[in-house]
Amino acid sequence: MENQAARKPFKPLPYLLILPTAIFVAVFTVWPVLLSVYQGFFRQRMNIAKFREPSWIGLGNYIDLFQDPYFIKVIGNTLKYIIGTVPISIILGFLFALLVNRKVRGVGFFRLAFFHPMVLPMVSAATIWLFFFTPDYGLFNTALRFLGYTGPENWTGNPNLALLSVIIVAIWKNSGYYMIFYLAGLQNLPGEVFEAAALDGANDWQILWKITFPLMRRTTLFISTVAFIDAFRTIDHIFVLTTGGPSRASTVLLFELWSQRFEYQDIGVSAAITVIFVVILLAFTITNFLVSERKEA
Amino acid sequence: MSTLKRMLFVLLILMLGLLSACSPAVPAETPMEEAPVEEAAPVEEAAPVEEAAPVEEEPAMEPVTIQVFYPVAVDAPIAAILQGYIDDFQAEYPYITVEPVFSGGYADVQTAIQTTIDGGGEPPALAVLLATAIYDLINADYIVPLDGYVAGMEGGDAYLEDFLPAFLANSYYDDQLWSIPFQRSAVVMYYNVDMFKEAGLEPPTSWQTWAEAAQALTVKESDTTNWGLHFSSDWPYWLFQPLAIGAGQNILEDDCTVTFDDPAVIEAVQFYIDLSAKYGAMPAGVQASWATDTADLASGATAMIAHSSGSLSGLLEQADFELGVMPYPGKEEGTYASVPGGGNFYMMNGIPAEKQDAAWKFIEFITRPEYVADFSINTGYIANRYSAYDTDAMQAYVADVPQALMTRDALQSAGAELATQNLGQVRGIFHDYIQRAINGEMSAADAMAAAQAEAEAALADYCE
Repeated sequence: MENQAARKPFKPLPYLLILPTAIFVAVFTVWPVLLSVYQGFFRQRMNIAKFREPSWIGLGNYIDLFQDPYFIKVIGNTLKYIIGTVPISIILGFLFALLVNRKVRGVGFFRLAFFHPMVLPMVSAATIWLFFFTPDYGLFNTALRFLGYTGPENWTGNPNLALLSVIIVAIWKNSGYYMIFYLAGLQNLPGEVFEAAALDGANDWQILWKITFPLMRRTTLFISTVAFIDAFRTIDHIFVLTTGGPSRASTVLLFELWSQRFEYQDIGVSAAITVIFVVILLAFTITNFLVSERKEA
Repeated sequence: MSTLKRMLFVLLILMLGLLSACSPAVPAETPMEEAPVEEAAPVEEAAPVEEAAPVEEEPAMEPVTIQVFYPVAVDAPIAAILQGYIDDFQAEYPYITVEPVFSGGYADVQTAIQTTIDGGGEPPALAVLLATAIYDLINADYIVPLDGYVAGMEGGDAYLEDFLPAFLANSYYDDQLWSIPFQRSAVVMYYNVDMFKEAGLEPPTSWQTWAEAAQALTVKESDTTNWGLHFSSDWPYWLFQPLAIGAGQNILEDDCTVTFDDPAVIEAVQFYIDLSAKYGAMPAGVQASWATDTADLASGATAMIAHSSGSLSGLLEQADFELGVMPYPGKEEGTYASVPGGGNFYMMNGIPAEKQDAAWKFIEFITRPEYVADFSINTGYIANRYSAYDTDAMQAYVADVPQALMTRDALQSAGAELATQNLGQVRGIFHDYIQRAINGEMSAADAMAAAQAEAEAALADYCE
C-alpha cells in the first residue's frame, strides 16, 4: 500500500486543504513549545533588574525544580488529582449513560440533570460549590450530616481535604460530559448482537461486560484521552475555591506554572515547567494511541 | 493506517490538546470589549463650575487615543461609572479619546499587560493595578515615574499633599513617584450593633474585649453555630496585617526587610489561633470564607467580620440592622490598627510621549475632588483626597452614611500594606506558613521562623 502511494503523482490539493490548519498549529502551538524549550535553558526573571536579560544556565532550571521539595509536592498533587478525577468521572459517565439509555418516561429530565454541570462555566460552578462547601449551613455538609457524616466540614480550608474538594467539583462537572459520549456510542451499537446474546441466554451482567463494554472501547479511549488532558488544563475552580492552598495543598502543575510566570515573573522556570508539561502529555497520548492501535491489529 | 500517518494523527490531536491547555495562561491581547455604553451613568452630580480647573485654551491638538486597563471584579457597576467620567473628560478634551478595557481582577489586568509587552505589542497608556505591585513593575521596566508631570503642574506639591498619606505610602521608590492612588480601601471590622446592644456589649477596645465579645456572641444551635466572628484566612496576609500592627510590629520594615519572626507577629498569629482554640469564638483552622462572610454578617449568621472597606456599600444595602465599622482593636487597651489596600494608576513605559501627556491629563481629571467624591459615593471605596470630603456631595453623603467616615478614620491607625521586592514569592511563603500555623501543622513560632528564613532567601537576589 505504501509502495502504491509512492508511485502516485504528487497531488497538491490535500496539502492545500490542510495548510490553514497546519499554519495555525505551527504558529500557536509548535512555535510556543519550541520557544519554551529554548527559554527553559536560560535564567530570566522579569522582576529582578539584573536577571531581566536571559543568561544561559543549561539544565539549571530543571535541576532546581527537581531538587525543590515543594515542586515534588506539586507533582504529587497533580498525580493525585488525575488519579482522583479521571477514572471516577469516566466510570460515572458510563454508568449515567447506561441509566439514561433506557426507554422510560422522564428520561429526558435525567439526561439533562446529569449533563447540566457541563453547560455551566467552571468559574460559575466553582462559585456555587464555594457556598455548598460552607461549614455549618452549606448544602454539601448538610447533606453529608443527614447521611451520618460527623467529620470536618471545613472542606476548602483543611489541608487534607482541599485537594479532595477540587476533585469532587471536577468529577461533578465532567461526568455528565463523558456521559454524552457514551450515550452516543451506546445508541450506535448494533442491535442484532444483543439479540443474538439474548437468544444464547446471556444474562445482563455478561452482556454488559462481554459485549457492551468491549464495543465501547474506542469511545473509552477517546474519553480517557480527553479526560486526562482536561485534568491537566482545568484549574479555574482551584483559583475560585482554594487559590492553591491552604499551604499549597491544592496546587497542581498548571497552577504552579501560572504562579511562576505571572506571580513570580520567572520566565526560565515557567518555560521549564511548560516543557515538563508537554513531555508528560506527549508520553501519555502516544502510549495511549499505540497501545490501542496494537490491539486493533 | 501507515505508521507515519498514525503518528501525525497522534501529534495533531496532541497539539490541539496543548493548544487548549495553553489558553488559560496566555490570554494574548484581550479583544477590546465593548464597554457597556449605558448612557445612564449613575448619579452624575453637576460639578460646581467655579471649582473646575480653568479650561485653558488648548492649542489645536493632534487627535490622540489612549487605552486604560481596568479591573472590574468588585461589587459595583464600575464600568458604567467610569464610562461616565470618560464622557465628561472627552467633552473637556475633545482631541483625546479614552478607550477603557475592562477585565477581571487586578491579576488579570497585570497578566494582560505583561502578555502584551512580552509579545511586543504596545501596552495601554494607563492601568489600574495593585498599589503593592510597584516594585515588580519598576524592576520589569513596565512603568515610568510621574515626578515630571507633578512638577509641571500648577500647585503640584499641594496636589500630592491632598492625598491621604496612608494611600500615597506605596507610590514612592528611590525618591521617585510611580503611581497615583485611585480605588483605595482599608481593612476594617464590621459588627452588628443590634446584637452588641442586645447582649449589653460595648464595641471592643482591645484584643481581650474583642475576643470576649466574640465569645459572648457565639451561639450554638443543635447542628449549626452562629459564630461571634468570621475572619477569613484563605488569602491571609492582608486581613492578618492589622493584627500584627496591633501587636506592635508590622510584618515588614521596607521593600527588602520582612519581620515575620518578630515576637509581636508571632503573638498576633497565636491570637488568631486562640480566637477559636481558646475562646471558641470562631471556626477552627483556615477559613476559606472571604466570599461568604459579608452574606453571613448581613443574614445574622455571625456578629462580626474582618473584611475590606470596599464591602461597605453592599453590606449597607443588605443589612436590616445597624452596621458598625471600626479598625481592629489592638492588643493594648485603646489601640487600633488597620492597613490600606486597593489599586493605583500607573503610566506604562514604551508609549509615545503625546499619549503619556494625554494619560496624565486623564489622571489629573479623574482625581479632581468632585470625581473622587462621586466615585467613593457610588462604589464604597474610600475617597483618597482630603478635599473630596469638603465637596457638597460628600458632606451630604456622610451625613446620611456616617460609616463612610469611619472607614477613612480607620486609616489613621494604619501601617503599610505588604509590598516587597519579589512580592509574589514572599507573599506565597508567608501564606504557606501562616496557614500551617492556623491549621495546627506547626506552632506559630516555628512557622514564622521558617517563613522568615525562606523569605530572606527569596529576597537575597534583589537586596544584596
